[in-house]
Amino acid sequence: MEDLKSKLKAQIIEALNLQDTKPEDIDDNAPLFGEGLGLDSIDSLELMVLLERQYHIKVEDPREGRKILQSVQSMADFIQSKQPA
Amino acid sequence: MKVKCYIQGMAAISPQATFEGDVFSAPLVHTDSNLLTCMEPDYKPFIPANSLRRMTRLLKMGLTTALQSIRDSGVEAIGPIVTGTGKGSLQDTEKFIREIEQYKETALNPTPFIQSTYNSVNGLIALQVKGTAYNNTFVHRGFSFENALLDSMMLLAEGAPNTLTGALEEMTAEHFYIKSRIGFWKSTPTDSRQLYVQQSPGSIAGEGATFFVLTGTPTAHSKAALTGFKMLYKPTEAKVAAGLAEFKENVDLVLTGRNGDSRYEHFYRQVDTLFPGVPQLPFKHLCGEHDTAGAFGMWLAAQILHTQQVPAQWFPMLEALPANINRILLYNHFYGEQHTMIVLERV
Amino acid sequence: MAERVFITGMGMITAIGDNVAENLGQLRQQRSGLGFTSYIDTIYQQVLPVAEVKHNNDALFALAGITSHEGYTRTTLLGLTAMREALRQAGITDVQTAPTGFINASTVGGMCDTEKVYFDIVDPTKSGTFLQYIDTLDCADCTQRIADTVGFTEHIATISTACSSSANALMFGARMIKQGFMPRMVCGGTEALTRFTLNGFNSLKNVDKQFCRPFDQQRTGLNLGEGAAYLVLESESFAKANNSRILAEFTGYCNANEAFHPTSPSPDGDGAYEAMKAALAMSGRTLEEVDYINVHGTATLNNDVSEGKALERLFGNNVPLFSSTKPFTGHTLAAAGAIEAIYAVLAIQQGLIFPNLNFKEKMEELNISPVTELMEGVSVNNVISNSFGFGGNNASLVISKYEG
Repeated sequence: MEDLKSKLKAQIIEALNLQDTKPEDIDDNAPLFGEGLGLDSIDSLELMVLLERQYHIKVEDPREGRKILQSVQSMADFIQSKQPA
Repeated sequence: MKVKCYIQGMAAISPQATFEGDVFSAPLVHTDSNLLTCMEPDYKPFIPANSLRRMTRLLKMGLTTALQSIRDSGVEAIGPIVTGTGKGSLQDTEKFIREIEQYKETALNPTPFIQSTYNSVNGLIALQVKGTAYNNTFVHRGFSFENALLDSMMLLAEGAPNTLTGALEEMTAEHFYIKSRIGFWKSTPTDSRQLYVQQSPGSIAGEGATFFVLTGTPTAHSKAALTGFKMLYKPTEAKVAAGLAEFKENVDLVLTGRNGDSRYEHFYRQVDTLFPGVPQLPFKHLCGEHDTAGAFGMWLAAQILHTQQVPAQWFPMLEALPANINRILLYNHFYGEQHTMIVLERV
Repeated sequence: MAERVFITGMGMITAIGDNVAENLGQLRQQRSGLGFTSYIDTIYQQVLPVAEVKHNNDALFALAGITSHEGYTRTTLLGLTAMREALRQAGITDVQTAPTGFINASTVGGMCDTEKVYFDIVDPTKSGTFLQYIDTLDCADCTQRIADTVGFTEHIATISTACSSSANALMFGARMIKQGFMPRMVCGGTEALTRFTLNGFNSLKNVDKQFCRPFDQQRTGLNLGEGAAYLVLESESFAKANNSRILAEFTGYCNANEAFHPTSPSPDGDGAYEAMKAALAMSGRTLEEVDYINVHGTATLNNDVSEGKALERLFGNNVPLFSSTKPFTGHTLAAAGAIEAIYAVLAIQQGLIFPNLNFKEKMEELNISPVTELMEGVSVNNVISNSFGFGGNNASLVISKYEG
């Protein structure tokens, strides 16, 4: 899980081109949108693309996407729940 | 067309060092690659990092030039925002076409699609300056900027306090190749300083972003006045001559869009015939040929009128100039199809 | 006093008909043009509905009256078909008889054809007839080909402000007339379906897999469409001297920007509110005099909330009859503003209010719901037509019955 989260942080930084952010700057539970990293709705679409390209998980409904993309923790939980046990 | 407006502020990112500092003392940038590429400034002072991270080159160039022209004008509240671009963000268009193919239409990032939209820079400018007035984008090759200019002058006549009016164009390696397949560029590498000597089919490519803040009435800060304007679509030589003749009075200098393309040079020769003894300067060796090169020409004309200087290092062909330059005629055309004439006067 | 601007000709082609009369017929019969694409090469062929014009390019060449095929894109052919009808309807056999400008609108130019050969175009080892499409990608290509075919030589321009493009083209044309630059303008837009645009909107996750449901609680997005439409605009003095048949008056317009987000409208519809309010003010009509609003109504989650809120803010408890005709035509992007302007004229001429197909359940955010059945015999004197686009671009037009 910890590995997944740190990998995910690096992938988020790369996908969204967060140049001045380091993986350790991102708190597992901090909100990604609004205050936290200051991401917006286009970023949320890009993060869904990240899930699809890197983890082969498709999120169809943007409303569902918002819940999954609340934080690195929620993304990691979601990825884990989708992976075969 | 009966029009009049005043340039209150302006800025240009171009292949020359035109963006900041004493622009007219900068050395001449030249190339023998048939492509003049913009000298880009540091964008960080202009655009918040959080916005900058997604933007591609043309968006950064366009937005930054727009903001710099507003600074230059001293205008606080920007009214309508009108731009012209022939091709928009080619980098984004190409990227989206490629990703559709690469990812087989699945898992596509929306950003290149959004940014490929021709009015994306307009939207970004409006967002950053909170510009909630009229907003429009013209996409018509060599008429893109000039239609934006016409729209702006109509807005001023309708009572707009000012307009932010600009043009933006980029060239990518891929698009340079595409246009080379249909003879847009010279077939052999040409020194841009020799552009007008080497008459042959094609020109050299360029790019740039140019913005103006315009008003309907003059102020103490006005840099130049626009007093004459004409657009001619696929005209005959006779129509071009008749158009030019309308602006014959008291012209001190003619700026021409000459680009070394032997196929369309005959239009520019009308100037030689109609304006004997009036000095002429070409400008495409500075900015290269592109859809909105006319905007760079207008920037140059306004600089010359405002500073009453012509940078000698940019114009090795320069001969005697009148002591005072009060009126400049700018005549440009894009591959013989869209012809534009603009008269600028000293204020 | 600026001249009044009249509409004296209209031409169109959409998924529900090759001309104005066919469009009217299908609107009356409440027949949607939505279905699956026959001409785009996409994995979504059987997944994402579109409103496609039911002709292949060969058939369109015949409709557009073009014999030379070289480099004509579907965008151009749709445009020419609509242009020819508009000129015919206005009684113009030769556009050179009076100074006539042409303002076109396009979002992706000839992408429909260039995307099919793009990788050949950029491959130096390939050569062939595809090279005739090399310079058709930009938006000016269709404008100039249409202009050259029918003979426009005066002012020409192409506007691209995403989904509001042809509403802005109409506005620009009307302003050129009012400022006395031109007595007659032909304005509108053309749009062909492309794999590029379909994937673009799909990447934004706002394309519905079902037929779109504007203003419905369960809506999940738009369906794209294609088509073209042009309107002939004339100054009052020219129309009278020319004895033109006046179809309606173009009484008001406004373009306002939201400055809120690159693609999404503000939740309270600030831009939509401002655009409708200012357009109506220009028309000199009161809120009570608006009989029908042809809303932008794309059926995306955001648009319909935002536009609905704007309607409630502007009209309070007396929101006029409104409907989205996007379930008939799909969202035709650059052509939408002009197509819907023609529908506004038809509503006035025929006394009709078009139904908003596929509506079942009122949105929880709103107190209003659209007209769902065709209404006939209605006195329609003033119509607002909305077109809102990316980049916060909001355009509203007011079209009114001609009353001398």
